[in-house]
Amino acid sequence: ENNGYSLGSEQDNQHTKITFSFDTDRVLVRINDLTVEKADEVVWVRGRIHTSRAKGKQCFLVLRQQQFNVQALVAVGDHASKQMVKFAANINKESIVDVEGIVRKVHQKIGGCTQQDVELHVQRIYVISLAEPRLPLQLDDAVRAEVEGEEEGRATVNQDTRLDNRVIDLRTCTSQAVFHLQSGICQLFRETLLHKGFVEIQTPKIISAPSEGGANVFTVSYFKSSAYLAQSPQLYKQMCICADFEKVFCIGPVFRAEDSNTHRHLTEFVGLDIEMAFNYHYHEVVDEIADTLVQIFKGLQERFQTEILTVNKQFPCEPFKFLEPTLRLEYREALAMLREAGVEMGDEDDLRYIHIYDTDFYILDKYPLAVRPFYTMPDPGNPKNSNSYDMFMRGEEILSGAQRIHDPELLTERAQHHGVDLEKIKAYIDSFRFGAPPHAGGGIGLERVTMLYLGLSNVRQTSMFPRDPKRLTP
Amino acid sequence: MPMYKVRSFHGASGAVRAEHFPICMYRLQNLHRGPAATAPPHQEEVDPSLLALESRQEEILKRLYELKTAVDGLSKMIQTPDADFDVTNIIQADEYAPLTASAADLDSMLGKDYGALKDIVINANPSQPPLSLLVLHSLLCERYKILSAVHTHSSVKCVPENLLKCFGEQNRKQSRHEYKLGFTLIWKNVPKPQMKFSIQTMCPIEGEGNIARFLFSLFDQKHNAVTSTLIDSWVDTAIFQLKEGSSKEKAAVLRSMNTTLGKTPWLGGNELTVADIVAWCALQQTSCSNGVPANVQKWMKSCENLAPFNSALKLLQ
Repeated sequence: ENNGYSLGSEQDNQHTKITFSFDTDRVLVRINDLTVEKADEVVWVRGRIHTSRAKGKQCFLVLRQQQFNVQALVAVGDHASKQMVKFAANINKESIVDVEGIVRKVHQKIGGCTQQDVELHVQRIYVISLAEPRLPLQLDDAVRAEVEGEEEGRATVNQDTRLDNRVIDLRTCTSQAVFHLQSGICQLFRETLLHKGFVEIQTPKIISAPSEGGANVFTVSYFKSSAYLAQSPQLYKQMCICADFEKVFCIGPVFRAEDSNTHRHLTEFVGLDIEMAFNYHYHEVVDEIADTLVQIFKGLQERFQTEILTVNKQFPCEPFKFLEPTLRLEYREALAMLREAGVEMGDEDDLRYIHIYDTDFYILDKYPLAVRPFYTMPDPGNPKNSNSYDMFMRGEEILSGAQRIHDPELLTERAQHHGVDLEKIKAYIDSFRFGAPPHAGGGIGLERVTMLYLGLSNVRQTSMFPRDPKRLTP
Repeated sequence: MPMYKVRSFHGASGAVRAEHFPICMYRLQNLHRGPAATAPPHQEEVDPSLLALESRQEEILKRLYELKTAVDGLSKMIQTPDADFDVTNIIQADEYAPLTASAADLDSMLGKDYGALKDIVINANPSQPPLSLLVLHSLLCERYKILSAVHTHSSVKCVPENLLKCFGEQNRKQSRHEYKLGFTLIWKNVPKPQMKFSIQTMCPIEGEGNIARFLFSLFDQKHNAVTSTLIDSWVDTAIFQLKEGSSKEKAAVLRSMNTTLGKTPWLGGNELTVADIVAWCALQQTSCSNGVPANVQKWMKSCENLAPFNSALKLLQ
């Protein structure tokens, strides 16, 4: 170790070897643990150089680790020479460094950092991994709120640039918060359903016939013939019910070849699907699904407040409100409410007018049969309606579900009515021939739920590597 | 007044040629042919019974006129009453108007149904349950078919079990449109109870007293202006002085209630009104260190004999 600073690589003729000589006794402290409690302690920290600023005999660095950052000071003195200060100031941004320093209390809070009460006085600094000098985007710009950018004339980063350089864009504290929360949604979904006695299943994604109709399905070559990518785990969920699993859920990719370039459509997304056999009324299932979602919302409220606030700094929005038990209205009532408010119900089914209840989450029950897929069970009380339901977050649809037809004859009849090729769904219909329980279910899209919970405006912000008609990479 | 004389259109003879007559009309006898027809009517000898009739008419008209002036005078007197005039004495003469508005009246009171269930949404803070609204809800359920629901809003962490079940067991078997009215209670972090109704243009109504008045108006009890004002006044007194007032104010209200209840069985007169409901609930939710006077105690017992009050008592436990 020469003078306490160096690059971690050695050049050996034409080869550059990256070698590590690490000290197994060294304990790295997390940046978010650098608080006044550690004042005057000597610690080792690993982080990225977020910014560096040299001023004569001093160099101020901001070291970053996920959403947390801390100020570090390299000053000419007992531990640092002028060359070391110059070295520190010239390390490219985003490089990963190991720093040994003393934690010192500060007199004035450092507003620009998450760790506001302390700073690190650097004794040794090593570069672990060097970043290239020119970054395709500046993280500070990527985190700047749109409004702030406009008002102060500072740069913000547009969506395509972010998506093209996703690895760097994902490093921002906002992105970190979004995807930590998304992980939480998956976690809570699993936890809640397992607690309710559901079983997690895995369903095939390469299938022989399109499940939701032939229009929006991807075809793949399958040896000498072709197959399709599953548009939903629908058919297999149901087969599991017929196979006596009673209550199942699955988390997996869903592929929709829909050529729409909207703020809420992706060609590939993560589907969280539920299917359940019920005893006497499909509302038993509706209540379970609604309760699962409410438990997710509550869990996010309790465990992810930091993440929610971090996202709100860049994308301000009202906290997500909901009622327990969930509000459930009938479709024709909602139509009547809209008519009363003078609004036409469009394709987006935008229903922000249920404001007297002050909830961002509600269910609409009993949709007309004509607009639902062929396997939807008609309403016994009114043949024009169906036992189907949609759930909405902040006025946008997140779940479309229904009671499924479990009688093979009725299913055949409805399929014919919809012009579906019976040959292609023979295996599906066969699964109901040997005693099928009455069942219902529904599915949500992970990205869309994350987007709407946080009040973001584009689903690409909540999909790590989004797929849409115009984007296949990264 | 002399009028402009028009030249005769159809000859001096008076005979009109047949072909000029319209065939779509029926013929009348010619009124002008009679010999005395053109002479102006003159005063003839009038039938004495006719004269008697006329004089009776005159007399009746004169008496009516006298009565009218008398009533006008009296009404002036009532509009500017004597300072010592005790209005509470009039209430006793009020007609008994029981709580029996029919279901059809709801449409006229609340506006026509536009296809969605008319839903009364009340937001209340679980730390200060609006007891009078719960009593009114029970009363409403006795009259109309009501779809009741209780929800917890995400702004509130934890609501005690008894408040979640304050409407008792709800049977939700029927479709929403088979109910006459909806009553949705949402436990929410609000400073005061708040009511919203499913008419888009309406702004929220705040305050337990105001919401209680609205709910009670759905019973369509008719009162005269004086009684209505007294009832309103009692509601305000109960909320602002009995529930939220100092112990001195509370004592004063109890004395005044005692006096009133000495004269009439209920605060508003001969029948139960929203004043009694709000006052009784205020008494339940506030501490009265000096005890409650005799008439008030008797009145409280009468309230508790009614089922809606009884179930509210159970809720407090």
